Amino acid sequence: MNLEGMRAYREDESVDAVVVGTGAGGAPLIARLAAAGLKVVALEAGPNFTPERFAFDETLADEIYWTMERLSGGSTPEAFGANNSGTGVGGSTLHWGAFVPRADARDLRLHTESGMGVDWPLAYEDLRPFYERVERFLGVSGAQAYPWDAARRYPLPPVPRNGPAQIMAQACEARGIRWADAPAAVVSQDFQSEDGPRRNACINCGFCHQGCRNGAKASMDVTYLPFAVSRGAEIRAEAFVHGLERGADGRITGVVYRQDGQDRRQRCGTVFLCAGAVETPRLLLHLGLANSSGQVGRNYMGHVATQVWGTFPNAVRMNRGYPSSLITEDFIRPGADFAGGYLIQSLGVVPLTFGNAAARGRGLWGKPLLDYLDRYNHIAGIGINGETLPCDANVLTLSDELDARGMRKAHVSFGYSTNENRLNAHATAVMRGLWEEAGAEDIWVLERVAHTIGTCRMGRDGSSAVVDPQGRSFDIDNLWICDGSTFPSSLAANPALTIMALSLRSAEAFLAEGH
Amino acid sequence: MSEPDVLFCLHFLGGSARSWERLARALDGVPFCVPVDLPGFGDAAGTTGYSVAAMADHVAARIRTRAPARFGLVGHSMGAKVALALARRSEDGEPGLTGLTDLILISGSPPSPEPIPDERRAKMLAWIDADPETRRREARAFVTANVGQPLDAADEDRAVDDVLRAAPAAWTAWLKSGGREDWGRWIGVLRTPALILAGSADADLGEDAQAALMAPHLAHHRRVTVAGVGHLLPLERPAILAERLRAHFGDRPGQADPDAPAVPPAYAALIDSERVNSRLREALGARAAPDDPAYRPTALDPVELAILRAAMGRVVPVPNLDLAARLDRRLASGEGDGWRFSALPPDADAYRAALRTLDAAARAAHGRPFVILGGNDQDTLLTLCERAELTVPDMLGGRLDADRMRFWFEDLRADAVRLWLGHPAALARIGFSGIGAGGDRDGEIADGLPGFRAVGLDSPEAWEPRAAYEGTAR
Ligand SMILES: Cc1cc2nc3c(=O)[nH]c(=O)nc-3n(C[C@H](O)[C@H](O)[C@H](O)COP(=O)(O)OP(=O)(O)OC[C@H]3O[C@@H](n4cnc5c(N)ncnc54)[C@H](O)[C@@H]3O)c2cc1C
Ligand code: SF4
Repeated sequence: MNLEGMRAYREDESVDAVVVGTGAGGAPLIARLAAAGLKVVALEAGPNFTPERFAFDETLADEIYWTMERLSGGSTPEAFGANNSGTGVGGSTLHWGAFVPRADARDLRLHTESGMGVDWPLAYEDLRPFYERVERFLGVSGAQAYPWDAARRYPLPPVPRNGPAQIMAQACEARGIRWADAPAAVVSQDFQSEDGPRRNACINCGFCHQGCRNGAKASMDVTYLPFAVSRGAEIRAEAFVHGLERGADGRITGVVYRQDGQDRRQRCGTVFLCAGAVETPRLLLHLGLANSSGQVGRNYMGHVATQVWGTFPNAVRMNRGYPSSLITEDFIRPGADFAGGYLIQSLGVVPLTFGNAAARGRGLWGKPLLDYLDRYNHIAGIGINGETLPCDANVLTLSDELDARGMRKAHVSFGYSTNENRLNAHATAVMRGLWEEAGAEDIWVLERVAHTIGTCRMGRDGSSAVVDPQGRSFDIDNLWICDGSTFPSSLAANPALTIMALSLRSAEAFLAEGH
Repeated sequence: MSEPDVLFCLHFLGGSARSWERLARALDGVPFCVPVDLPGFGDAAGTTGYSVAAMADHVAARIRTRAPARFGLVGHSMGAKVALALARRSEDGEPGLTGLTDLILISGSPPSPEPIPDERRAKMLAWIDADPETRRREARAFVTANVGQPLDAADEDRAVDDVLRAAPAAWTAWLKSGGREDWGRWIGVLRTPALILAGSADADLGEDAQAALMAPHLAHHRRVTVAGVGHLLPLERPAILAERLRAHFGDRPGQADPDAPAVPPAYAALIDSERVNSRLREALGARAAPDDPAYRPTALDPVELAILRAAMGRVVPVPNLDLAARLDRRLASGEGDGWRFSALPPDADAYRAALRTLDAAARAAHGRPFVILGGNDQDTLLTLCERAELTVPDMLGGRLDADRMRFWFEDLRADAVRLWLGHPAALARIGFSGIGAGGDRDGEIADGLPGFRAVGLDSPEAWEPRAAYEGTAR
């Protein structure tokens, strides 16, 4: 993004807030705090890109992924990198899919409802105003009448239904399942971002996961961050934070980061860690901070994100159009033998992602692989985002291996338990049924885990949670965490909208204290 | 191209310059043979310096003295390893060695440690400085054990004499260290046109060893196995050897430009059109460029690269595309994909260990290296990897257990398909239209990109390509 003319703060000046990470968790609060007149410096490990770099190619997009190695273990090892972790000014929102369902109110009190999982220390009504603010600010497109929430209105009309969406809509219709045009943080019309660039309407190019060339997709670098810069925030790119300095009272006084091969320090009044659910706990474990609860790194979660693929007689050409333009929330509470539920979305993917799935997930190779890839223009998918309950065995620790900076690599152990397995079996049967209904041939199932969630859970009690319901550390009162790591449970909804809503909520709580 | 002016001929362990007399006669001066006694052998029995490097220096001095404009190197067994070291120096531009035109490798000892069983090595070490009678008996046994058919009596006697003339220290040095030195990475991959000869009755350095351990170091080579011959081709069948040399000089391998998968004209035109942005066009062009057959691997060694090529050829069977070299380049760059299975070592190490394990599995199951197995047998081993059923004991060279081989094979499939689908020929084949969604525009946020107008089912725009199997007509 354009950082010319940006305000610059001196390192020895104690700014009000340093924000570590500029993704979904960091950007909204950087914007809000700057708008309130605070001195804010954002430190981002990744480079500063401009959309001019985005070239409609998956290999060229590797640069927007977090490629510092993580070790993946457990019974359902999760892929990182292009699967869920971005870097750069804008964080994972540079490549996110911008599919933005809100959390279902019931998911926030799952334990009360089912005796399983946990309740969140806040309710849907606490989040709703922030959801609305984010949706308005980003220009979310979606169904004008949302079947699962009569009160909801999306600011912009939906993006067009592409091939996979049309197929899914017909199949849902035939099976009596409600469906809707998906809520997408993609502008279906030209849209002036507040104190930011003019964003052009979506051109249906299908490369959302590789970076949007024309600003249609709401990544932070065309939305909250330009706004933040216009209000006096400073963003420093390629600044990797690896230390926090503290005073005699234990409070944080400054942040140590590495830029251009040199260690620098920025003095500050408060730190917001927004480095994502892997790097935030890794940094805290590395520093041995904010962990009197012993919860840092615990309850790592990825969503159950199984997909079903099939081949159709039609020219589907799934690369065209916004990739996930249809949703059903009819299975948020399927009333089956498991707690929670899942949502279903239609899927189109670009070739390498598809080939990777066919080779890794379906196990194809040789001529069968080439023959299957040949069918690309006739293939469509459908996938879920399903609840994963917190679990003791799923934990992020530091491995003994060091990275290039000499910091221990993260080791993530993740596996499904009974609830996830049951949910997965249910969802797989439903999706298979839909694709059979739609006339698909050669149907197959791709087991997949998505997103990085948990590891610094929020709660009401400092003995079992890392941060309070506002995101403030129980141990260090000028340390806040605001990213996917604070989720106590995964929720069925894709996480980023909720992360942004929580980010604004933390910012308001911080400001309300009179900062 | 014609013959080189001179052939420098380097003998086997226990041979000498005399070992080449019959070849020289058969060639009759075209080209002219200059046989060299290596340090410790023949007339140079009193010369020391038995390491591969020292032997190469010794030969380099001879080459410089003659200063030929164009020369070939003929290396037999031990002499082949010396020839390979000299070829590397020549290709690196060392003054005085630059006229190298051909490499002739006969039952060659490869750049990596020679695959000779420990008992055989121990036996050869035991008698070399024994009493004269034992020495004579064992030297004869050594010669007769290394030929396919008995030599005629006079030749055999001369060969036995040569063995006995050798300095025992030189003999021992080769077995204990020279033959075990690992020059694989340093020699890398040579561009010099090469002829690799093997005898069908050679125990340790026959055609399998040549295919697995020698050929990977030679970008442009032809492999020939001579029926009925053991390890001593220049003594056993000098006339056939001469014939093979002439055929090689008449038609050297690797003279044609390297091939690459073709990008059909219609797709090439789309790439050139204004629908495609310059950064992508440039990247697609770079990916479409032919691979260098002499690509020198850095993450893997050349032998491992050859195993990877063979495996890649089964996973993504497309001709004229060196996915293995492209993968090696990525592994070497250290640019990972951000994660790995914690059960596996770091990517490059995992690849090396897995490829060696796969090769060991081939040897255990078939007694042959992976690279030389037929496609079906290779597939069977890869299928075992896929099922986590490929188990090779440590003592047979297994480095990764069955579960790790399964993880590795998953990584290999993913790496292979990602590299393939980056290639414009692959995108053309599947009829991918996405590259044409937007061209160059000024400014941070692009205005007026074409994108796709219709996105529903069965509504392709006129310019969108079709998959090859559906035909190009609409
Ligand atoms: C392919 C893909 C598609 C997705 N699609 C969707 C979707 O459709 N809907 C949805 O809701 N979610 C989606 N997500 C997930 C979503 O992008 C993330 O949940 C969200 O961005 C997480 O926000 P975060 O703030 O926790 O972390 P991030 O957005 O990842 O931001 C963290 C930032 O911190 C930086 N950082 C890390 N460590 C340091 C350090 N030590 N010093 C300085 N900076 C550091 C990183 O470089 C990064 O920029 C998708 C993700 C992927 C990968
Ligand atoms: S499909 Fe639309 S939102 Fe996605 S990258 Fe293309 S223009 Fe941007």
